[in-house]
Amino acid sequence: MATSGEEKPVMIVGIDESEQSTYALEWTLDRFFAPYAPNFPFKLIIVHAKPNAVASVGLAGPGTAEVVPYVDADLKHTAVKVIEKAKGLCQTKSVHGAMIEVFEGDARNVLCEVVDKHHASLLVVGSHGYGAIKRAVLGSVSDYCAHHAHCSVMIVKKPKIKV
Amino acid sequence: METYVDATGVDTAATTTTETMGKQNKKKLNVMVAMDESKNSFYALEWAVEHLRDVISAEPETDQPGGLLTLVHVHPTYLQYIYPSGGTASAVYATDSVPESMKKAREESTAKLFTRSLEICRGKMVKTETMILEGDPKEMICQAVEQTHVDLLVVGSRGLGMIKRAFLGSVSDYCAQHAKCPILIVRPPRETSTTSK
Repeated sequence: MATSGEEKPVMIVGIDESEQSTYALEWTLDRFFAPYAPNFPFKLIIVHAKPNAVASVGLAGPGTAEVVPYVDADLKHTAVKVIEKAKGLCQTKSVHGAMIEVFEGDARNVLCEVVDKHHASLLVVGSHGYGAIKRAVLGSVSDYCAHHAHCSVMIVKKPKIKV
Repeated sequence: METYVDATGVDTAATTTTETMGKQNKKKLNVMVAMDESKNSFYALEWAVEHLRDVISAEPETDQPGGLLTLVHVHPTYLQYIYPSGGTASAVYATDSVPESMKKAREESTAKLFTRSLEICRGKMVKTETMILEGDPKEMICQAVEQTHVDLLVVGSRGLGMIKRAFLGSVSDYCAQHAKCPILIVRPPRETSTTSK
């Protein structure tokens, strides 16, 4: 049952601009990819979900229409930075052949759709490590994905430094 | 020497070739899999062994020592058995220890569980250990993770909906929030028929 070259299982790593995401990507590259060059055990796809500008502005007041273009430009800028950082990390770890994709929309739905699209075996996400209240208010992408994705989900947390 | 990967950068010792960097960072993972008698946790173990085999197993060619796969099973303790006595409705008796027959039955089922699990791990070149704990499953698993410093915790998931999850509690949920290491939640397969049975 060894996996041949063409039929490598697909691993999707979801990233955003947070440190936790970067840590998750780095951890994954270090443990699952870097040591095995060039025969990686998985096919890697890195996915960034760019939030929708209109959705982010939300319930703003009368000035919404003017603000949206700025928000949109800022989000695009962030997305570019995130992609560059991901590419840089892959380069550093000598991980080639990774696909990087950007989609617009809410991270939760985007990640679950990408899993379906590529029939992924594994989805990797970072975690902000919110407490119960923040989680309830802000929502947790890692929680949502762990319950709704159609594949196994790996949640990588940045370890807190214990004094 | 320990190559601890921290968030800010690559370890400074390996600078020159990718080969040395690869060798030093090639520490195999120590993975812990939480088991109970449910079908989902056996599926999780199978999934883990199949997909994580590459990152756990030893490689004799490069003298790379393998990581360790730990199977942990937690007995939920029933601290008290309260038997309402027949006559008076208010008096209850509490016993401290689990009756002998229950203990034996539990040991047998644990032995069976581990036999099945070790069957799954056999022949995959993965060093496997088993661990039996007693107590509240969620807390004991997180404690075990802390004590053994594993790199990854694997749990199955019953795939409960939100409401059931709130009432029945979810070990995978709790561990995802509280475990000190990355956690991999293996979801049950969508189709009922699979190739291997």
